[in-house]
Amino acid sequence: MALPHTVGIPAVRARASLWRRARTRETTTALLFLLPLFVLVVALIVYPVYRAVWLSLTDKLVGYPERFVGLRNYAYLAQDDTFHAVIRNSAVFTVGSVGLKVVTGVLMALVLNNVIRGRNFFRGLFLLPWITSTVIIALTWRWMFDAFPGRGFFNSVLLDAGLLRRPIAFMATPEGAMMAVIVANWWRGFPFFGVSFLAGLASIPRELYEAASVDGASAWRRFWHITLPGLKHVMIVTTLLSFILTINDFNIVYVMTRGGPGTATQVFATYSYQVAFGQLRWGRGVTICLFVVPILVLGIVMISRYLLRDRK
Amino acid sequence: MLDSRISRRSLLAGAVGTSALLTLPRPAFPAVKKGTSLKLWILKTYVEPTNKAIEASAQRWAQKNGASVTVEYFTFEDMQTKYVAAIESNSTPDIGQLETSAPARFAGMGQLIDLTTFARQIEGQVGKAPASVTAVTKVGDKVYSLPWYVMGAFWYVWRDVFEKAKVKMPTTFEEARQAAAALNRPKDNFYGMGQSWNRTSDGYGVMQSLMYSHGVGWAGKDGKYKSIKTPAMQNVMKWATDIYKDGVQPADTLTWTGSGNNENFIAKNIAQTSNGPSITFALENALAKATDAKDRKAKEEALANHVALPHPAGPDGRRMWAIAMSFGIFKTSKDPEAAMSLIAHLLSPEETVTVMKDSYGQFGPVLDKARAASKDYFNKNENYRTFGRAAEWFAPTGWPGPTTAAAAEVQASNVLTDAPAKVIVDKWSVDQAIEWEDKKIKEIYDTLRG
Amino acid sequence: MTTKALTLAGLALFLLVILVPFWWIASMSFKTYEQIQFATSIYVPNPFTWENYTGLWTETRFPLWLRNSLVTALVVTATTTVVASLGGYAVARLRFPGRESVASLILILYLIPPALLFIPLYRVLAELGATNHLSALFLSYPTFTVPFCTWLLIGFFKALPDELEEAALIDGAGRVTAFWRVLLPLAAPGLVASAIFAFTLSWNEFLYALVFIQDEQAITVPVGLNLLIYGDVFHWGQLMAASVITTIPVVALYVFIHRWMVEGLVAGSVKG
Repeated sequence: MALPHTVGIPAVRARASLWRRARTRETTTALLFLLPLFVLVVALIVYPVYRAVWLSLTDKLVGYPERFVGLRNYAYLAQDDTFHAVIRNSAVFTVGSVGLKVVTGVLMALVLNNVIRGRNFFRGLFLLPWITSTVIIALTWRWMFDAFPGRGFFNSVLLDAGLLRRPIAFMATPEGAMMAVIVANWWRGFPFFGVSFLAGLASIPRELYEAASVDGASAWRRFWHITLPGLKHVMIVTTLLSFILTINDFNIVYVMTRGGPGTATQVFATYSYQVAFGQLRWGRGVTICLFVVPILVLGIVMISRYLLRDRK
Repeated sequence: MLDSRISRRSLLAGAVGTSALLTLPRPAFPAVKKGTSLKLWILKTYVEPTNKAIEASAQRWAQKNGASVTVEYFTFEDMQTKYVAAIESNSTPDIGQLETSAPARFAGMGQLIDLTTFARQIEGQVGKAPASVTAVTKVGDKVYSLPWYVMGAFWYVWRDVFEKAKVKMPTTFEEARQAAAALNRPKDNFYGMGQSWNRTSDGYGVMQSLMYSHGVGWAGKDGKYKSIKTPAMQNVMKWATDIYKDGVQPADTLTWTGSGNNENFIAKNIAQTSNGPSITFALENALAKATDAKDRKAKEEALANHVALPHPAGPDGRRMWAIAMSFGIFKTSKDPEAAMSLIAHLLSPEETVTVMKDSYGQFGPVLDKARAASKDYFNKNENYRTFGRAAEWFAPTGWPGPTTAAAAEVQASNVLTDAPAKVIVDKWSVDQAIEWEDKKIKEIYDTLRG
Repeated sequence: MTTKALTLAGLALFLLVILVPFWWIASMSFKTYEQIQFATSIYVPNPFTWENYTGLWTETRFPLWLRNSLVTALVVTATTTVVASLGGYAVARLRFPGRESVASLILILYLIPPALLFIPLYRVLAELGATNHLSALFLSYPTFTVPFCTWLLIGFFKALPDELEEAALIDGAGRVTAFWRVLLPLAAPGLVASAIFAFTLSWNEFLYALVFIQDEQAITVPVGLNLLIYGDVFHWGQLMAASVITTIPVVALYVFIHRWMVEGLVAGSVKG
């Protein structure tokens, strides 16, 4: 900040008040700039969240006025075996697909990093899954795994190659169905990781690699000690974002399996929808999702702290 | 002669008119106010010509009365969501076509107009429906909707497959299971049956048919919760899970969507399956689109070889779960009398038959006048004759009790199909599954209101 | 194996993984119902037919759904870009008490799952009379596009050098002018990236559109695709044709601006 340079105490006081006035002006401007965001957030996020919390303490059933019932919904869910399955499934789904996305993202970044000609072209091409509608992706992968003879891609190929005599019903078992939804989510998401990591690679100073080569470090050691640490920041940020999006996912599971077979792929979002719109129990439906919020908030706060520490 | 006829008629007219005046503050069908606008919600089915026919019928009424009708559709999929959303935001239509459990549910919420008197009045014009069907439209003694048709489920089999193996066409569930074992040829990718316990009517509907035909109901005649931990339910669960354990079905049966069994049956991968008339519709359609002589011959054979048998019976009788569609009038309607007039028009035998002619047999009319008028249509062939009888076997959700909101929620909670899935997929014992199912049902009844 | 060979192999593998599903959709979209039903000509449709595409246009309300999705995405993108750039600028450039908290708050907001909000938000929108129209989406979509885009722009703006603005400020320009005349033109790639994100998120959204809107006239593409499955019959061919048509414009748009988009995306997460 370019402040007039003066000496002496009156000068300091003058400087301080100028600075304070400038600060106040900035704060006002900031408030103005932030106003639309603020209005949106309060009216359409904070207020509904507040109502969601309230709703979770009632027995709201569609068509009837709600009655306050305290923590009854929470107590019910705590002993509901379906909800336990939902928690397990959501954890497996999220950790599984995010983990796969990270690894694939690194591989994609490494490959693209070595492509000189046409790198932008390939990078753009590889981002295609990420921009496609998830409903379409879910339907596509449902079909890819289909056991209907001749329609499922994997079964067609395996049958035609003579490796199978009968089609495999990939999505008919809990494990298979979970794998299928993870694959769909992974396919959709890994390009985002790849592109971010690719940019991350670009910011790692070449000198580090050159120095390591001179020292005789193998490719693996260079990767482990230079590349990975260099990517740490972008990895954490991207992983966090993806974690949040994935744990809240509705589209992929809903369209691919509706949470089945049985409750094998039922996750928070789909179970909440079923309870609220299938069984018409809004109080309980909202409570299902509220369970996720504390974990999320904790995770976010931790990461934001990390991000801020790094920024400084 | 003429005079006496006229005087008798005027006597009758006077009697009818008087009784009408006595039961309603106004005559039943006043001239519909010109310019009245009604919103009508209809179930959109896979048979597009039927959807159009219903819309046309409504428009005929509109023209006749100088009014206007806006028809909006919901599907099997979004049926719940659409009505739920409308109720919560107070934007319900004037007339809504309601599926089996909806009249009880919505009446319980105070959303529907009492149509008891109206129902009595138009009985002369449109006829009566069997008691099993009218049970769906009533809460206590009050009538909240007027029934129109049922979409039944039938047991589809391939005749040539049965004849070749010299297996008798099944009339009971037990026979069906035995036939499946006899016809099973996994090496050729051909299976004896295709029954999915999925979250569609192909799943929970057949489960209910199975239960009710074994005399098992989760509610008593009074509509209150009744335990299902009985020997009969053991047999039900055994049948439901044995067909998976015995390997008589394709590997992915449990994950089928609503169309899974259709596709597998039409592709001749399975010998038997339960379905609404849509399979016949698909085969008739395929024939119409045949490309050459060879293709045409194949399609004709398929059409001739497929048989829609009445749904199997159990030890306690033949009870078929079906979707009973009826019309209700929402309290938010600004012109209930016009709405009643439209309903009477749609339900009339003439209009019903006109609509049905485009329905490829999926419509099983329930009002006796319409059934009589449509006898010729259903006489087309054996399959159609079976379709036409749907109303005879109808058992409502929540049998033997009325279709209450609780019964509807049991169906909506997927517990009926999740239970056998737990045995098949999670390897629970039959006892465990029944215990779990019973507990869930009891919970629903204990915590429901209204 | 040389690096070159490994790279080529990797490239080929990724190409396969990414393109095969697209090819599968496209291939199915050119098959007749019978071909799909009876599993004839699996890999390459033969005969090739356009009937799913024409059927989509003439038998279904697909054009209407496209229009609704487009209108929604454009409106939401516009509002999001305005709100997010203003807010992002404030956090990135202006100094005010609680600035870092606001930044964290914005991130937290993005994490509030639509699956949590959809029920109470539904009631709020119903009270406003917005349900059953596209306006329900105009109001609700920004709840997830704005936090994300703001966060993105904060990172982007921070990465831009502030000398030009400083110069403008010293010359006596107000903050607003500095924002409008100096920063925004510089930030074009970030803004484009943010706009594309908002567009894509809107275009893709399913749950809110499913729950808030029942009126047939206001249905968007994802919900419409869901509707193509009615009763017992699943129109796979039409569904796939719809998928192809829906994906093409986004891809076309994206081809022109993907460089900017990647820059913007990356600036947010890489440079922090």
